[in-house]
Amino acid sequence: MSKPTNLVLLIDDEPKIRRFIRAGFELHGGFTVQEAENAAEGLQAATFNAPDLIILDLALPDRRGNEVLDLVRSWSNVPIIVLSVEANEEEKVRLLEAGADDYVVKPFGIAELIARSHAALRRYFKSANENPVVIAGPLSIDLVNRTVLLNNNQIKLTRKQYRLLHVLATHLGLVVTHDQLLDDIWSGSVRKNIQYLRILVRDLRQIIEPDPNRPRLLITESGVGYRLQARIEDITVS
Amino acid sequence: MPFGTKGKFNKPTWLPPRLAQAGVAAGGGDAHPDNASLWPRLILAGGLPLVTSLLLVGAATTGLLLVGRFFPANLATIVYLIPVMIAATWCGTWSAIATAIAGAAAADFFFYPPYYSFRLDDTQAAIDLLLFLLVALVSGDLASRLRRETETLRHREDELRYLYGFSRRLAACHMVSDLVEAIQDYLSETFGPHTAFFLPASATVSHPTLAEATPAFIQNNASAMMKPDGEQSRIIRDETGKSLWLLRTVASVETVHGVIAVDIGGEPHAAVHQRTRRVEAILLEASQTLQRLDIGGAMEEASHRLKDQLLRDAFHGNLSHELRSPLAAIKGSASVLETMPSIREEDRALPLVSTITDEAERLDSFIGNLLHAMRVSTSDIRPHLSCADPRDVVNAAIHRRSRQLAAHDVNVGFDRDLPMVNVDSALVEEACGQLLDNAAKYSPTGSTISVAVKAAVGYVNISISDRGAGITAEERAQLGQRSFRGERHRDVVPGAGLGFWIASTFISANNGSIEIMSEGLGCGTTASIILPEAIIDEDTGSNDE
Repeated sequence: MSKPTNLVLLIDDEPKIRRFIRAGFELHGGFTVQEAENAAEGLQAATFNAPDLIILDLALPDRRGNEVLDLVRSWSNVPIIVLSVEANEEEKVRLLEAGADDYVVKPFGIAELIARSHAALRRYFKSANENPVVIAGPLSIDLVNRTVLLNNNQIKLTRKQYRLLHVLATHLGLVVTHDQLLDDIWSGSVRKNIQYLRILVRDLRQIIEPDPNRPRLLITESGVGYRLQARIEDITVS
Repeated sequence: MPFGTKGKFNKPTWLPPRLAQAGVAAGGGDAHPDNASLWPRLILAGGLPLVTSLLLVGAATTGLLLVGRFFPANLATIVYLIPVMIAATWCGTWSAIATAIAGAAAADFFFYPPYYSFRLDDTQAAIDLLLFLLVALVSGDLASRLRRETETLRHREDELRYLYGFSRRLAACHMVSDLVEAIQDYLSETFGPHTAFFLPASATVSHPTLAEATPAFIQNNASAMMKPDGEQSRIIRDETGKSLWLLRTVASVETVHGVIAVDIGGEPHAAVHQRTRRVEAILLEASQTLQRLDIGGAMEEASHRLKDQLLRDAFHGNLSHELRSPLAAIKGSASVLETMPSIREEDRALPLVSTITDEAERLDSFIGNLLHAMRVSTSDIRPHLSCADPRDVVNAAIHRRSRQLAAHDVNVGFDRDLPMVNVDSALVEEACGQLLDNAAKYSPTGSTISVAVKAAVGYVNISISDRGAGITAEERAQLGQRSFRGERHRDVVPGAGLGFWIASTFISANNGSIEIMSEGLGCGTTASIILPEAIIDEDTGSNDE
């Protein structure tokens, strides 16, 4: 990481939510939290304080959260995690397509938010990181040499299986939408169909999952996309 | 003659055959043979009884002549009583009288000396014959009266049975249009073409074939009675002055649903009375049904209005946001507490913190259910069908309900080659979750809940079986209703409340169905979700190498 502590900008109008998130991040260590109670304050802080991560509540009193998202994205690619009470899949996909790195649905536990924050920060600082190997539980994916080890044994994947794993590995711990995966894997292909992706995922799970019927690495985000877990035990976080 | 009833023997042309027959029975044998003006009609209508009686007397005479004259003459008169009784029970009083007279004449002619002459020599023979005539007439009248009464009773029984059928049909009416149809059917069946049922101009249901055939003045009167303040009953004399029309409204407290018009004829008064009584009976039944429909309709409307209002308020008030924000703060704060070293070191604090978390989650899932129920109530379900792996859907549902399933042993099995399904995964996942909830709620702690996902031709079957309370056949029937009629009985049958209602609605929205099976009480329940298989293109795009 480039800084000793990461500056988190927390934009939420509810003091009680801000209080526990601040406490959680500070307790966990490695984070400095700055609070903003509305969109105007949040945008100002995002501009002047150059946070490493923004946690953005969608229900703000002065402006809609997705407007704030669009505005920040217009000049910065700082990781943004959205907090929402909406569990609606289309809304999640819209937010991800608008540039959010991930979302957390209220109510949530602090561990989930911290895990997502770490994943987003890791991806943000990845470009500066020289190590091209991504570790996901028993999997070790070498993005440069395009080799995959499962429990230290090299495994053979088809071109599209590898492509899928590659896209997910570059977003380790973060959700990747169906459309993004289809675009990345079937780039140039005229016919894009979610069926292809479903079958490709099913096949890849047969290879990498200890129990393909109960996937714990390649996780389905219902109606949204897929997520590659950094560690197998992450699944217990809810 | 002192026998028989008064009234003309005219068969009412407009009665249906069954009732017309009864009319003949009532009017039979009323004619006076000495009245010349009655003869043509008598020959026409009374011909058959007369012929019958003469044949009977002829047969008796032939029988007696064959036996010969070896018996006293007064015994012959007793034999003639037999045709009298037969005629009385077959054809009524009139025929009995004719038979009695013919029998007396025949006895005089053949069996009282001098033979083959109507003359009588001694007084004893005259007394004999007079006595015979008297006995024959009295017993004939009694026999035919008995027959009439039987006939009337049978007729009344028919009428009652018919009315009972009518009221049963009314009991099945759920709408005013059903009722109108039932009344129309009953009227035309009972009174033939001389009836009409007028409907208000606004009504969509009409029966023009009946209404158009009625005279214009009846139609005018009926439309006058259709007004809210019109009279309920009118009796109008036909233009020809021959018959009376009875007009009655079929009305509930607020509206007039129609007007019945029945030609009740002019006379005899008994028949008019009888027809009026039938109309009254129909109206009584109809008005009771109307009351029932009115009350039912009003209650339904009120409950709909209340529900809609509540739901609208809930949505507009952003209920989910208002309730979930405090819960988010509670659950979040508890999750931070859980990680605090001072709490982790305190044995008594940690369970308290997890209680806070659990209860907050429970409230949250309750709110979630409420929101799903609102979506079902307001028909706000727009499924986005797409190809999904049934394993993902089932695993997500189990994972999402891990807290509710914690006390059970969940056993999941998937077929090896499961096809993809074409569903809205969020809806199906929620439906599975609801059924898992029910399985956990209604089976003992520690028991096994089996989830089996199987492939069949064209569809995928997700079955969730518990080892719990089970469900009876009757309860299952109610369960089916509930899924269609909403949450009305949701507190009656355990295991099938809001959850099943939500689940079945969500699954129906995915072109699937839910089947509930149980061996009976205490034998566990299996809920099966049947989902259509996705049509997969041959080129799956993954055969890349």
